[in-house]
Amino acid sequence: MSFDVLISQFLGGLSVAMLLFLVASGLTLIFGVAKVFNFAHGSFYMLGAYFSFQAINLFNNFWIGALAGAIGAGLIGMVLEICFIRRISGREEEGAFQILLTYAFILIIDDGVKFIWGPAYKTISKPESLAGALTVGPVTIPTYNLFIILLGLVIVVTAWYVLSRTRMGKIIQAASTDTQMVGMLGVNVSLVMSLLFGVATAMGGLAGAMAAPLRTIAPGTGVEIIIDSLIVVVIGGLGNFWGALFAAILIGEVNAFGILWLPQWASLLSFAVMIVVLIFKSKGLFTREQGRKKI
Amino acid sequence: MNHRLETTALWSAYVLLFGGMIFVKNEHAIHIAAQIVILGLFAISFNILFGNTGLLSFGQALFYGLGAYVTGMIAKKFGGDHFLWALLLVPLVAMAVALVLGALSLRLSDVYFTMLTLAFAQLVWGITIKWYDFTSGDDGIQAIPKPEFLAGGLHYYVFAFLVVTVCLYLLWRLHRSPFGTILKGIRQNPTRVNFLGLNVFRHKLLAYVISSCFTAIAGGLYAGLDGSIHPDMFVWTMSGGIILMTILGGMRSFFGPIIGVAVFVLLEDVVGRSTQYWSFFIGAIMIVVVMLFPKGIVGVSRQFAGLFAKKGDPLEHS
Amino acid sequence: MNHKTASLLSALLVCFTSAVSFAGETIKIGALYPMSGRGGLYGQDSEAAIKIALQEVNAKGLPGGRKLDVIVTDDQSKPALAVTLAKRYITEDKVKFLYGVVSSSAALAVTEVSKEYKTIFVGTDHAATDLTANAFQKYYFRVSNNTFQSMAAGAMYLQDMKLGKKIAYIGPDYAYGRDQIAELKYCLGKLGANFEMVGEFWPKLYEADYTSYITAIVRAKPDVLVCGFWGGDTVAFIKQAKAYGLFDKMKYFHPDGGGNYEVFSTLGAECPEGLIMSARHHNNWPETKENADFVQKFKKATGRYPSYAAEGAYVGILVIADAIRKVGNADDTEALVKALEGMKMKFPEDPAGFQSYIDPKTHQIVQAQAIGVTVKNDKFPPAKYMLGNFKVYPADKLMPPQDYIDLLKRTKK
Repeated sequence: MSFDVLISQFLGGLSVAMLLFLVASGLTLIFGVAKVFNFAHGSFYMLGAYFSFQAINLFNNFWIGALAGAIGAGLIGMVLEICFIRRISGREEEGAFQILLTYAFILIIDDGVKFIWGPAYKTISKPESLAGALTVGPVTIPTYNLFIILLGLVIVVTAWYVLSRTRMGKIIQAASTDTQMVGMLGVNVSLVMSLLFGVATAMGGLAGAMAAPLRTIAPGTGVEIIIDSLIVVVIGGLGNFWGALFAAILIGEVNAFGILWLPQWASLLSFAVMIVVLIFKSKGLFTREQGRKKI
Repeated sequence: MNHRLETTALWSAYVLLFGGMIFVKNEHAIHIAAQIVILGLFAISFNILFGNTGLLSFGQALFYGLGAYVTGMIAKKFGGDHFLWALLLVPLVAMAVALVLGALSLRLSDVYFTMLTLAFAQLVWGITIKWYDFTSGDDGIQAIPKPEFLAGGLHYYVFAFLVVTVCLYLLWRLHRSPFGTILKGIRQNPTRVNFLGLNVFRHKLLAYVISSCFTAIAGGLYAGLDGSIHPDMFVWTMSGGIILMTILGGMRSFFGPIIGVAVFVLLEDVVGRSTQYWSFFIGAIMIVVVMLFPKGIVGVSRQFAGLFAKKGDPLEHS
Repeated sequence: MNHKTASLLSALLVCFTSAVSFAGETIKIGALYPMSGRGGLYGQDSEAAIKIALQEVNAKGLPGGRKLDVIVTDDQSKPALAVTLAKRYITEDKVKFLYGVVSSSAALAVTEVSKEYKTIFVGTDHAATDLTANAFQKYYFRVSNNTFQSMAAGAMYLQDMKLGKKIAYIGPDYAYGRDQIAELKYCLGKLGANFEMVGEFWPKLYEADYTSYITAIVRAKPDVLVCGFWGGDTVAFIKQAKAYGLFDKMKYFHPDGGGNYEVFSTLGAECPEGLIMSARHHNNWPETKENADFVQKFKKATGRYPSYAAEGAYVGILVIADAIRKVGNADDTEALVKALEGMKMKFPEDPAGFQSYIDPKTHQIVQAQAIGVTVKNDKFPPAKYMLGNFKVYPADKLMPPQDYIDLLKRTKK
């Protein structure tokens, strides 16, 4: 197998991985840091895509669309957190009810977008400036895919910086470990959690808006991506952005080369990877031990 | 209301309601009732793991599908007379599989256990879809024969009802046994159970094997209901649906899950008749239940009963 | 305590038991379509087309002054639910016909219900050849073409146009995707074609990201890429492949579901030129009055142009009405089966001078297939490209031969 084949397959896998990471990054924030089992994360991804579709139709500008996707999904996420998720916190078996509640969100959001936008597929165009492709020798990569790879890197660095180097980030981390204590220190924990939920769903919305030029927007597309995102979050270690990035790349590349060498089984490889990882590392690859790290 | 009374009331309600279906002359109602008892067995055996032991498996559909495929493939290959012994084989196969998968996945805790069970089920689903020569792939298996005396909706319902009732009785005895108490202990405080000199892992594994075994029986029964089975039975949405129904009905009660199943199946049937926006309505009802009935449907009935009986919250008991 | 739940349950059960059925003036048809999710568009379009057909049929009148009525329920494309609903239609709503179904696996389950209850099932959309071959039963009829017919035409097209002998295939990883390539290979073999498979790729159904498949296909360097997606998957694949310049490197050939109108209406100006595709119905072919009328009626009723699914749902009702007229009532199922077996009718999708007919042996509709190439055409907005330069393959050359049916019977149980 020639070198350029490996390179182009690797780059293809990387761009798949980065979109996967974009979706999973919001989930790792919700799931790992805010400790909310948000099954509906995919639905916010789908909402982001629809909002950006709508905004682009109105303003004919891709970037406004991306912004609308992120802000729209984030606002809806925050409203749902304040109206519902917050109100069941502290209840016995909170986690189980979070599953039930967020699954209900999936059902309602799916029908909601069908009601508003109809059952027909939607798609949006890439922005003019990113529509081309970069060709180096025999290797081609579309500019937009390169842009997605860069965006993924920007998000992971930003998230890492905010979470571990800013006051806000430290409050968030602390609140995720010991809510009561942080509350007693005078921090409005429920406000922090609402904001966190809003940011995480906005990240889901942004991922949807970014994926929309490459994919199809339709009711039901949200729930299709949730399992893959969960795999990434769990392999990478809950709440760990660098871990999620690594896991996304692992899944993306295993798939990319699986398609070359085991095309029959490629669609099952992500599950196989998770089984292997969890059997050998029972808490994912990069889970921090509780309490060991100083916050 | 004391617990013995509640127990009697629940069992009588179950027997009267589902036994009474025999006299209903409506094929569709019987068919729906059959689905409720079969999925009810699935949900109640799942809850042995979830509500009792505190283990959230996201892959119990694996055993549901396994039961259906063992029964369906044997009956399809060897003929309807072999349906019954195939159904008897189901628990054995399921226990063997559960022993292996349980030993691997129960070493993990919390969400990692959940995700590993999910991965196993998805892998089996994928293999079922791809292995055409053996499983007929995603076309599923149709026209599964069954013995002459089980033909017809009513006959099969009686059979399914009897099998499910026997299984539920066994699960009930288990639930009330010292073993059941140990499982509750594991959920509430595994360390303490360990200090009592009991092997937590071994008890978890046993719970997993038992739960999976009865789930597989439910799957086997389903294979005979419509004579049509499909890899969908393995997929994560199936496991997820059972989780939802269990929580909806009430995971702290033995009969809660089957009530959740009944509500779900009936809603799908009734709402689906009048609107294509059924999922919106089901979602809305789920939200109402979550917000207003913090202990599931059974929980709220208990609160009502508690008001009249002037007793404390009898949670955790039946 | 439990009386509350118990009373709720029994109240709901009473709903069933008290449902009275009466044989009135209407003849009921029970239709099953996905109305939500990925296949939802096909269900919505089918329902709209059914309404148009019902108006026409009832305006023209049926024997005894009776009227046709169709109940549509969302089967979510789930086989188990489809079976439950089909049984309910028959036992409770007393329908005379089962109708529709988009998912082939749901149809395979429903055809068993049709057989058990001796109720005619008219399939309007699902394409698995099995239903009119190895899983055939005499109460089943299909008024849209199966994948074999598409692939038989496809094989001839590949031969006629000399597109090259190195073939790669990508299709969704389930029966629909697998049957298509198996049938294409069989048909190419029958034609004595000299071809070589250089790769087969199986993304899961509804795969969101095809990038790694695309780089692998480009590397395999086929002359022709045969594609077996439907709906949104086609859209996503084309958009992603276009960015990699895949369409400049090989011919793109998508003979069963590629040319579905919803693909063109979604892609709009982004649709590449020169893709070779077909569909089970085209809005711009044949250019007959019947087709133009049908498309315009649909547009008038819904404000949009129909996806392929609408035509099948439309003609099925006409076919049923015609059979009832021939028999004189809707109660003599055996006579209806006989009437349907001899059915011959001008469909919107029939080219001038041809009428579709039902093959009495397999109950499959026999129809011509047209394969076209994407060209600029904005007569059906929001599509900016439509198929053009059609090559038409005659109906009787596309049916699966007996030895293929025997092969299916041997290999699929």
